[in-house]
Amino acid sequence: MKQIAIIAVIAGIAAVLPLVIGESPYFTGVLISVLMMAALASAWNILGGYAGQYSFGHAAYFGAGAYTTMILISKFNLNPILSMVAGIVVACIIALVTGSIVFRLRGHYFGLASIAVAEIVRLSALNFDFTGGAQGILLTDVSLWGVDLNSKTPFYYGMLLVLVVTLGIALSLRTSKTGYYLQAIREDQDAAASLGINLAFYKNKALLISAALTSVLGSLYAVYIRFIDTSAVLDLRLSIEIILTAIIGGVGTVWGPVLGAVLLVPLAEMLRSNVIGDALVKQGMVSETSGLGVFLKENLAHAHVLVYGIITVLCILYLPKGILGLLGRKK
Amino acid sequence: MIQHLLYINHVSKHFGGNVAVSDISFSVDEKQIFGLIGPNGAGKTTLFNCISGFYPVTSGDIIFDNKTINKLRPDEVCHLGMARTWQRVKPLGSLTVLENVMIGAFSITHVTREAEKIAIEQLESVGLIDYAKKNAGSLSIGLKKKLELARVLATHPKMLLLDEICGGLNLTETETILGIIREVRDKGATIVFIEHDMKAVTAICDWIVVLNSGEKLAEGTPEEITGNPEVIAAYLGGGHNA
Repeated sequence: MKQIAIIAVIAGIAAVLPLVIGESPYFTGVLISVLMMAALASAWNILGGYAGQYSFGHAAYFGAGAYTTMILISKFNLNPILSMVAGIVVACIIALVTGSIVFRLRGHYFGLASIAVAEIVRLSALNFDFTGGAQGILLTDVSLWGVDLNSKTPFYYGMLLVLVVTLGIALSLRTSKTGYYLQAIREDQDAAASLGINLAFYKNKALLISAALTSVLGSLYAVYIRFIDTSAVLDLRLSIEIILTAIIGGVGTVWGPVLGAVLLVPLAEMLRSNVIGDALVKQGMVSETSGLGVFLKENLAHAHVLVYGIITVLCILYLPKGILGLLGRKK
Repeated sequence: MIQHLLYINHVSKHFGGNVAVSDISFSVDEKQIFGLIGPNGAGKTTLFNCISGFYPVTSGDIIFDNKTINKLRPDEVCHLGMARTWQRVKPLGSLTVLENVMIGAFSITHVTREAEKIAIEQLESVGLIDYAKKNAGSLSIGLKKKLELARVLATHPKMLLLDEICGGLNLTETETILGIIREVRDKGATIVFIEHDMKAVTAICDWIVVLNSGEKLAEGTPEEITGNPEVIAAYLGGGHNA
């Protein structure tokens, strides 16, 4: 009950946030990224955190949603919502094929196979004609039920809705039979099997839930940006970023992935737009023309992945339960 | 007429050229406390792994409750009413004691509150209720063994396979566990019991099968077994003071 109340409060605050910050496309854009990464990491966490099955290829499901939606809208002028549903179907088929083969095995096979599947999907999208190949797919105009989709605001609320649904699923799973079974599988597969848990079935179930949610986010993202190519929606970097967000925030918890996104996405944005470097120069602490000033200006913008990496190493060494563990909350 | 609940019919298990279990046959009757003993490497745990679905048998049949189970997965075997514990305990370490037992109970219910109720009953029956909210990984070995027992009991099994449930326990802890096992049998379950501790075995078992080097050496009542010269030579003679 307490947790549901927390979701409601946070969703409420998030819902009025655009009214407070006004019509700033830049900040709305950053907030959309935060919501999306929070939802992506939460969806990944159902499989990776609860069931302990680390997927290194969640970009495949994100890309499946994005590409299916964009192809159906641009080529067949299909309703965006129906295109999104079609994306879920495609993502689930990829998930089922992967899971039904790989989940028969134990150990790191799933992690390895998830990378392989994601690369197969990426290379296919890059080389087929109907996916636009290396050019990707551009959407010039899109609308839904008369809502102006050129504004960012509908996507902000769309992402918020998906995040709330994802957290609702994550929360209800925690206290349900399926959630307990997934955690049992994570802790000890032999013990789990001997207690009557069908390992492959429950791993597949977690993968399907996770893939479906990830694909919805891919669809939403594609229509929001209105341009996709393989480097935007199918890249290994995206898969890694999702995992790191969950791990740094607190893997296996409901709120860890959200916390990870809230902290990391703005940090990455600050590094990307070089806020830190600029601030240091403005404060007169570093001269713009000095060696250090030039270095900051030229290199700090590309450093966000490095910073993620350093934070991850520190987390693994000192905070195995993520930043949420630091706050002393168990769940 | 007493019914055979478990039939082991000429079961062999080879690992490559290594014969771990060779042509073993015996049967376990309903409500029996059945002991499976033998020196290290006799094939007891291997046989358990075959019965509970973790190893496929090389040849032979395992029939439980009139069903051939040697092609089934461990979870399917569990759903037929056979539950096992592990010689090397396998607590679900980051979950609480209560949650561990609930996961056992979920094999007979889908409802979380129902599972919690069953789990609390089982924790009370093994005397672990005070530890319900503790992390399973933090328990001592004696309490972990009790947890294993509570967890399999929560599946409401017809037959319990206990792999050295008293191993590493002191005298009082062993007494408690044996008491629980007797109670469980009196409530109608059948128990197959691997044990090193001869005192425990002779104290509690109705029938004993002795394995040695993967083969059946002898079977009989505890009195017959302790008096059998072959058994003494193979097993008790090796420095054991039972």
